[in-house]
Amino acid sequence: MASPSTSDAFSLLGLTPSYEIDSAALEKAYFERSKELHPDRYATAPANERVAALSKARALNDAYQTLKKPVPRAEYLLSRAGVTIGDNERLDPDLLMEFLEQREELAAARQAGRTAEVATLQAAMVKRRKAIIALLSGLFASEDLVNAKKQLIVLRYLDRYLEECEAALEE
Amino acid sequence: MLLQIAEPGESKVKEACKPRVVGIDLGTTNSLVAHVADASPAVISGEGGPLVPSVVNYSLDGVIVVGRLAQARAIEAPRDTLASVKRLIGRGLKDLAAVRSLLPYDLGGDDRAVHITVAGGRKVSPVEVSAEVLKELKRRAESSLNGPIEGAVITVPAYFDDAQRQATRDAGRLAGLEVMRLLAEPTAAALAYGLDRGSTGTYAVYDLGGGTFDISILKLVDGVFEVKATGGDSALGGDDLDREIAKRMLPGLEKAPMKVIAAAIAEARRAKEALTTMSETVFAIVPAVSETYTVKKVITRGDLQTWAQPLLERTGKACRRVLKDAELEREQLDGVILVGGSTRSPVVREYVADLFGRTPLSDLDPEQVVALGAAVQADVLAGGRKDVTLLDVVPLSLGIELMGGVVEKLIHRNTTIPTGATQTFTTYADNQTGFDIHILQGERETADACRSLARFMLRGVPPMIAGMGRVEITFLIDADGLLKVMAKELSTGVEASIEVKPSYGLSDEEVEKMLIDSFEYAEEDLAKRNLAVERVEADRILAATRQAFVTDAALLDDEVRAAGEGAIAKLEAAVKGEDYLAIRHAIEGLDLATKPFAQKRMNRAIAAQFQGVALDDVARKVGA
Repeated sequence: MASPSTSDAFSLLGLTPSYEIDSAALEKAYFERSKELHPDRYATAPANERVAALSKARALNDAYQTLKKPVPRAEYLLSRAGVTIGDNERLDPDLLMEFLEQREELAAARQAGRTAEVATLQAAMVKRRKAIIALLSGLFASEDLVNAKKQLIVLRYLDRYLEECEAALEE
Repeated sequence: MLLQIAEPGESKVKEACKPRVVGIDLGTTNSLVAHVADASPAVISGEGGPLVPSVVNYSLDGVIVVGRLAQARAIEAPRDTLASVKRLIGRGLKDLAAVRSLLPYDLGGDDRAVHITVAGGRKVSPVEVSAEVLKELKRRAESSLNGPIEGAVITVPAYFDDAQRQATRDAGRLAGLEVMRLLAEPTAAALAYGLDRGSTGTYAVYDLGGGTFDISILKLVDGVFEVKATGGDSALGGDDLDREIAKRMLPGLEKAPMKVIAAAIAEARRAKEALTTMSETVFAIVPAVSETYTVKKVITRGDLQTWAQPLLERTGKACRRVLKDAELEREQLDGVILVGGSTRSPVVREYVADLFGRTPLSDLDPEQVVALGAAVQADVLAGGRKDVTLLDVVPLSLGIELMGGVVEKLIHRNTTIPTGATQTFTTYADNQTGFDIHILQGERETADACRSLARFMLRGVPPMIAGMGRVEITFLIDADGLLKVMAKELSTGVEASIEVKPSYGLSDEEVEKMLIDSFEYAEEDLAKRNLAVERVEADRILAATRQAFVTDAALLDDEVRAAGEGAIAKLEAAVKGEDYLAIRHAIEGLDLATKPFAQKRMNRAIAAQFQGVALDDVARKVGA
């Protein structure tokens, strides 16, 4: 996992693995490679070339999606270093309590159709999410992967909460 | 480089070695076809210009008429004259509950698909009706390009789901077209705009058509067109406003005879279009159409604005969501592009300008730009153009149903295609030997609120304790947006997979059979067809003349009226006969007799248009 291979997202885009990323350079690299690899280029090519181009383009797109946004990028950096985040990772008990209470608060607001309240809760959480993402920068800079993982677990809870806000506002 | 409108027959010589591929905009109201000649796309014109109304008329003798001639039959034979079928394609009765009451058709079917019963008890599906429109476009293209069409890119609303896309693809096949790609309409528009101006930057495309609304945000850099986010409503368009106007003018319209509904909706559309250039117009249903529902009322642009507001708000909501999905503020956009006939209306333009805080771009014809972009993509896929790369996305999330009816999304909306995703799930019951994999599309959290695409079983798993069996599910999407799903039980290696071909009521075999049937009946009796065509045209002219005699009685002097009425009587007699040439002559006679009257109406319309423009300018100055 740790050694960069041909399927490594960073090497597919010709970038040095790092949490800090120049998004303009990332986009430029992605566009340049897309011009070469996009399946439309191979629409009239023989079947084997078409299939090869399709899987290359798919890998390229997936690499770009992974690196474009900070959270998937951070998770990917951890997995490259052999640190995985499982499906049932636990939060610190204090944080868990806090989240449970917040979910209840949201559920109550949603049930009662108090849209304005849902929006306020959502805004607060978005702010908190931004703060954590800023925090990740420092953790990756000091190679503190243990605490980076902790924050990413918090972000998972937080994103689930935000999804629920979204769903509540759609209703 | 400038886009140009080619006359039929132009630049044929240079086309000899290029593949004959076209782009088709199959619209709710109008359709058109375009082709790339000498690097720049051009629409293909036919009789009556490039637009073919997406209207199909079925007559008792089995003759099918498409376009303007069919449209002319709408009032006379509303049940047999099908318009706006794009709203029905790939839809079931349940999906259509909201619009059904004002569709003047004999609609049947179930929750997966609908059919319409037309003249002679013939049942047609929306796929067949759309195929007729496509055939007409194919005929046009073939006669203009001097040979068979080898492939076509057909556009669909970005927000069409897989059932609607599959149905559109089948309509293409039924029309004898090799469908190279289904392309999102706003993306096609951006392609045409981007190439025309060599633009770079981030643009929003606001596409309000007859029956669908799309909003897409694209980034254009050096020949790459990246769709950042897309959204919309596949059942929202100018049609809805027509119905709203008709309902306001004639309360209780739902209970009226179909003929009256059809006439009221046609009149509402005319009034709406008139308000594009004028500040007010008269909505009239003449007693000749219905004694009970006769009406004559003034509609102002202000009325239109009020009635359109709820519809516009719905588009605004979708726009805000798409901006959020793209993680952009409206100030970060470099421009907003208007697409679709409904964006001609100043009411819509003002709303969009307000929403995005800038004046939208509309210098390319909003009704042609989609077909032009589709032609470019057809050229790319045929290997012609190599400096354009289109990075499209999935418009709706894709996932599977979990225990308890919850949906787990594997691929989120706005993911660039081609793409793939893999996720592992565990068994929920002891000794479970099969997994039911239910594939869903949509944004909602529960399976019953999403659209079901397909379902398959992974069998042959040895009995295990709950939670021990682990199934890895992989979703793969190719550049056409087609989905393949694979399932594998990890401890045993048992596998199953499915190419997801969403069902919308017609099976592959049924489409195949229709295709064969259409070849068998292709040898039409020409005289029969001519007669039907002339009768349709005669009916249209008779209705229009009668209506004009009532609405514009003031412009009609006694002499012209007498001559006109004589010519009407002659034409009515000719229509009852079987001689199509006699009908054609009588039509010409009526044209001649009413010429002075037509001239007066024309002059007045031109005067009104100039007046309308002037008023507009004043309003803008005062408003600013």
